[in-house]
Amino acid sequence: MPKLIIDDQEIEVASGTKVIQAAEQLGIMIPRFCYHPALGSVGACRVCAVKLLEGRLKGVQMSCMIDAQDGMVVSTTDEEAVDFRTHVIEWLMLNHPHDCPVCDEGGHCLLQDMTVSGGHGIRRYLGKKRTYQDQYLGPLIRHEMNRCIHCYRCSRFYQEFCGYRDLGALQSANRTYFGRFQDGILDSPFTGNLSDICPTGVYTDKPSRFRGRRWDYQRSPSLCIHCCLGCHTIATGRYREIVRQEARFSEAVNGHFICDRGRYGFFYANHEARPRRARVAGDEVSYDQALQALKAKLAEISKRSGPGAIACVSSDRSSLETQAVLKRIGRMRGWRNFSGFMPQGLAQKVQLAVARLEPALSVSLRELEGADFIVVVGADPINEAPMLALALRQARRKGAAIAVIDPRPIALPFDFQHVAMVPGAISLGLGLLARGSPDEAAIEKLGPPVSDFYAALPTPEVMNASDQKRLSPLIRDLRSSRRPVIVCGTAVGPATVVGLAADWALLLQAVGKKAGLFYLLPGANAFSAGILSDPEDTFEKTVEGIENGSIKALMLVENNPFWQFPDRARLEQALARLDLLVVLDYLNSAAAQQAHIFLPTATLYEIGGLFVNQEGRVQAAQRAHSGGIPIAQSGGGGHPPRIYGAGVPGAEPRPAWRTLAELVEEVVPPDEARMQSEVGVWLAEEDPRFADLPPFAELPEDGARLNHKRDGASRFLVNWTAELQKSRGFDDSFELLAVDWTFGTEELAVYSACLKALERKPGLLMHPDDAGRLGLTDGDEVAMQLDRGTLKVPVGVVANMAPGVIVLPRHRLLEWQRLACGRIRLERDRIRKAASPQGPKP
Amino acid sequence: MPSNYPQVLFQNRKPDRITTLEEYRQSGGYRALADVCKHWSPKDVQQEIMNANLLGRGGAAFPTGMKLMAVAEDAPYPRYIVCNADEMEPGTFKDRVLIHADPHMIIEGLILAGFAARAEEGIIFIRPEYENAARILEREIKIAREAGYLGQNILGNGYSLEIVVHRSAGRYICGEVTAQMNALMGKRPNPKVPPPYPTEKGLWGRPTVFQNVDTLACIPHVINNGAEWFKGLARTATGGGTKIFCVSGKVNRPGCYELPLGVPLREIIEEHAGGLPPGSEFKACLPGGASTRFLSKEFYEIEMDFESLRKVGHRLGTGAVMVFDHKTCLVAATLNLIEFFARESCGWCTPCREGLPYIRDLLRRIEEGEGREEFIPMLERMSKHLWSAYCAFAPGAVSPVEGLLTYFEDEVQEHIVQRKCPLK
Amino acid sequence: MLDEELRGSLTRKIAGIEHPRELVVDVMFALQEHYGYLSDEAVREAAELLDMSPLEVDEIATFYTFVYREPVGKYVIHVCDSVICWMGGYESLRDHLCRKLGIRLGETTADGLFTLLPVCCIGYCDRAPAMLVNRQVYGCLTPAKIDEIVAKLKDSAHMSGE
Ligand SMILES: Cc1cc2nc3c(=O)[nH]c(=O)nc-3n(C[C@H](O)[C@H](O)[C@H](O)COP(=O)(O)O)c2cc1C
Ligand code: SF4
Ligand code: FES
Repeated sequence: MPKLIIDDQEIEVASGTKVIQAAEQLGIMIPRFCYHPALGSVGACRVCAVKLLEGRLKGVQMSCMIDAQDGMVVSTTDEEAVDFRTHVIEWLMLNHPHDCPVCDEGGHCLLQDMTVSGGHGIRRYLGKKRTYQDQYLGPLIRHEMNRCIHCYRCSRFYQEFCGYRDLGALQSANRTYFGRFQDGILDSPFTGNLSDICPTGVYTDKPSRFRGRRWDYQRSPSLCIHCCLGCHTIATGRYREIVRQEARFSEAVNGHFICDRGRYGFFYANHEARPRRARVAGDEVSYDQALQALKAKLAEISKRSGPGAIACVSSDRSSLETQAVLKRIGRMRGWRNFSGFMPQGLAQKVQLAVARLEPALSVSLRELEGADFIVVVGADPINEAPMLALALRQARRKGAAIAVIDPRPIALPFDFQHVAMVPGAISLGLGLLARGSPDEAAIEKLGPPVSDFYAALPTPEVMNASDQKRLSPLIRDLRSSRRPVIVCGTAVGPATVVGLAADWALLLQAVGKKAGLFYLLPGANAFSAGILSDPEDTFEKTVEGIENGSIKALMLVENNPFWQFPDRARLEQALARLDLLVVLDYLNSAAAQQAHIFLPTATLYEIGGLFVNQEGRVQAAQRAHSGGIPIAQSGGGGHPPRIYGAGVPGAEPRPAWRTLAELVEEVVPPDEARMQSEVGVWLAEEDPRFADLPPFAELPEDGARLNHKRDGASRFLVNWTAELQKSRGFDDSFELLAVDWTFGTEELAVYSACLKALERKPGLLMHPDDAGRLGLTDGDEVAMQLDRGTLKVPVGVVANMAPGVIVLPRHRLLEWQRLACGRIRLERDRIRKAASPQGPKP
Repeated sequence: MPSNYPQVLFQNRKPDRITTLEEYRQSGGYRALADVCKHWSPKDVQQEIMNANLLGRGGAAFPTGMKLMAVAEDAPYPRYIVCNADEMEPGTFKDRVLIHADPHMIIEGLILAGFAARAEEGIIFIRPEYENAARILEREIKIAREAGYLGQNILGNGYSLEIVVHRSAGRYICGEVTAQMNALMGKRPNPKVPPPYPTEKGLWGRPTVFQNVDTLACIPHVINNGAEWFKGLARTATGGGTKIFCVSGKVNRPGCYELPLGVPLREIIEEHAGGLPPGSEFKACLPGGASTRFLSKEFYEIEMDFESLRKVGHRLGTGAVMVFDHKTCLVAATLNLIEFFARESCGWCTPCREGLPYIRDLLRRIEEGEGREEFIPMLERMSKHLWSAYCAFAPGAVSPVEGLLTYFEDEVQEHIVQRKCPLK
Repeated sequence: MLDEELRGSLTRKIAGIEHPRELVVDVMFALQEHYGYLSDEAVREAAELLDMSPLEVDEIATFYTFVYREPVGKYVIHVCDSVICWMGGYESLRDHLCRKLGIRLGETTADGLFTLLPVCCIGYCDRAPAMLVNRQVYGCLTPAKIDEIVAKLKDSAHMSGE
């Protein structure tokens, strides 16, 4: 622990700390451009110069490159160092276009700050400025190379940190250029970060271009709700509109960055089509009228058919408050409990994951970066939760071995082992890894139940030789690992895998490894939905209830079953049978349009909210603005905006929890602050896992983890005979998997026009063996015949996936809901080449 | 010709063709290797070179023995030995002359250095302008291989080495070893400050020793004749061996001269290079390539070795003596040198990438009669600050500017006062 | 398009080496030789051969002096403009060449025969002023010598049917 003096202040820091970091700990902000805590030091920009007065090294040195050492005396204010820094700024400004008035970075530009603080005010250089040509980099990022100061942050972030290969440094000397080989959309789904890390305006945020200055904006800490990771963001509002979102640093979750789906997914909140008025029977009415109508209708149905005829369904995009109030009032009124998961079997998997995530096993996204062996089962990081892929890459960069067991074609920005198996075989693969991982002798000593569990694990013979061969190097890596982590998805694998993942992690811990467990869940608040949902009640059952007449009223709270329920025709018929369909939402979804009573709700940007990420971390988003139709829309861009009325136009949407509370008199609609504390109490009553949380108003920045209960009873229970059966897949038919893609399948982000260009063309994917048997080649248009109709799509033939499955994205442009997917069989003769009008291709 | 100094590196040099393997052998070539293979350990070789006080001839004058010793005994394999034949320092052409004179001397040196470091792979990194030299080397490597000096189990010693010639595509920074490392690995040739040092983690993370062509050519002679003999070749106590001085500019006989370290500058210019052409008077010279400081006439008698120059704030660099006469404008010459450096900067760090074009602009203005009084302190300060650049390129680049301002400030002043180049 | 023979020989060379990236300059030179310059297509092909991305190849290609990312003439003349050649009369030789070829530095003659580029010290200071034509050196230049060289080059171009 070296002790040193910086500007007359003494400080002791961990060894390996750079002087620039040590100074930061003292609150001394040494200028920097190329240094970035996530990217490390490279010493390129030279603006962090300080003078070392005492110690082994002396003179002007770069504080980002020097390790703090005992006896060092550092001056950041020494004349020579200051003069050097001023020169560096002057050099950087030689060619800078000084176009701050029209530059979107103006106002939050590190170069501006450094120029002013570095004391460079008067231009001495008389020469001409160098100019560059800009490139088109896609819909998210604008390129203006003339502003570049060559700190190399972009190429280091893009290539080293993220692992993508289409943006980098070209040319040399003072002609050095950062860009692509040619104009085109950037490959990486993390490109928005370029605008955050670029210290000047080379990469600016395209969708928010010319929308305002940093000081015009209301910026508030928010959360991303486009997947289960709960990355921290800064939502930027202006004139009743979210104009931009940036990454917010989080030590425990996302570090410094976020993905493009999360950054640009917010446009649903501003969308023109967003419903802002309540509706009864299709007519716009006042909020109170709709509320009264709803109350009366619910009372009537309750009286007529009993409260059990009313079913309430929330979703994993609802805030914890909303889920809690719904749970509470449902209990008070005797309504049916809600369950928010649409695909078959998903609720069960989520609940199992939530139950099995013990505190001793759980690792955060950032802790994952410290693992030395990671096996990902039944998850597709880039497509389901992109920031997970980035965390995996950081682990890989530090030397971790990474393997993915999943039927889908998995692409990740680093090298890894992919074992593509049909979903049913994943548990077997995992079981084999588990068997190979410890010394058998060590297991003996542990005794039951571990030894029994171990003894029951499958032996290699149950698996075919080629899969065995692919698994064996993993076993070797695993054995030598000290901090293995298993990342387990809930999207495609069977439920057994979820439990098995936890059992295996326990087993590894029992043999002395620092093993960790990381689940992926289907949505932002899936964790709490999992806790609060009735395990017996699934949406499937709700539909059945409607069909058999036991459910008469359905209240959908921020839930659109048409998006995710895999059988559209059935759903339509069922909803049509209802006496009452109520929808509370901020999206004008298909369900909202059919609702008898519709009540608009506010988004998290207008009310904030609590969300529980996939590791059970409760985090808070704060309000970014107070609602209403964006002025740009209400005034058509003119000034003043011409909608006349007493209040803020379009400000009727309320928090869903508030509307729900108002339905039940006993639950007095409290103000927000009281609301949150009340919710805390209710939740603690509802489930002990919520008991130890701090009051929500006092949640730390990085949230607080739920105190998971240790579910000893469900440990080590695998029925291997049943698993063996499942693992065979279907001999004569395909298993159809509906999957998520980074862009185009997530319900909220599809409202963002800027993300549309990034969507891959939808189509189904299959293995070359299967395609060969069906006489299909890549790019063919196929027709899939289903009970309820035919779907025509192009087929992609890809080798890096499991044979025997068909992968179909839940793409907004596909009517996949007609297919009734899940683990469903699709006989091979139901899929064939669509007759093409032009005849066969040459 | 003037005084007869022992010709070691040039002993077989011919006016019109290379020395063949046979001729090299006859002059004692590959005897050192045979000897080493029979009786020496890698450590012995390192020690002998250390004792010989052989300083790197590539410009940095780092003790070669020390570098070889820096490769830890238990370091991983494969290890690499790289012959730096990039030679892009303006004014320097000794490596080219050496390759064309006696390629096997370099090959043998490379094998011996490789042996000392237990390297399995040798690479000759050569600039594209030396395509002929590259072909000569490729051909002679093959011949050496056929003669058993290269390949598996060299001369029955059990030691194996293969050598390949790697062609660069031209950039001065590629001569800097860490940049060269990146170039060899197919990356952008930006330098990378140690640690780790190349001798610890070099090419592909393996120990790698980089030596200049000239340095390697000395090694067979050190082994053959011993450290003491080698040291004795120099006239002064520090640094052993002869030195190839490449003289260019305003002299009657530009070219390479092998002379003892420590010969006076005057002797090099006047006796060996034939003095200045008629009507020319000595005004200044760069003693060791473009990245050294101008020496004015007051240094005319200085002993040209590493230490004597260092003592007076100069560097021997590559020993490329570039002579400027009284009719040559040193502001314009410096401008030309800075033009070179500004163009060749790798673009990694700010002082070099942006500072050099700035300096170029100031010098150009002065030369064109647009100079201002305040440019001089600006140049001084910037030159000083360029020493805090990322690599040694920038300090080298400003050396001529510093020399100009130190010894020829009057000439700069004249430009400013007269609002024109006084020599035009 | 790359002909099969060249592709085959490069593929074999790459396959025979532990770190293919080491060959990036060699591959670029080979493709440059084939296409006359390193065209975009050539960058893509080099990338494919070396399992790099086109950008990764271009990052290196654009760094170097002797990789031409734009079309050049049959003869690329690199005139040394560094200090010794400068002292030896570079400027007037350059002007002579420009006049003679009817182009400025950086340009190619209309008949596609000559491209004129400045270059840093080429290591022939003992024979200053000097220049390279397709990497062959010509030293101790005078206007007359330049005329002679240019005439010879033109002749041999005509003989080879250009
Ligand atoms: C900008 C720069 C360019 C250099 N160019 C060369 C060169 O062309 N040839 C060379 O041998 N050394 C060159 N060097 C020196 C090398 O970095 C290194 O010191 C040398 O090759 C080591 O070999 P030696 O110890 O045998 O001299 C250069 C150094 C710098 C900073
Ligand atoms: S001083 Fe900086 S820019 Fe110049 S060559 Fe070295 S690293 Fe590159
Ligand atoms: S921050 Fe230290 S050199 Fe850039």
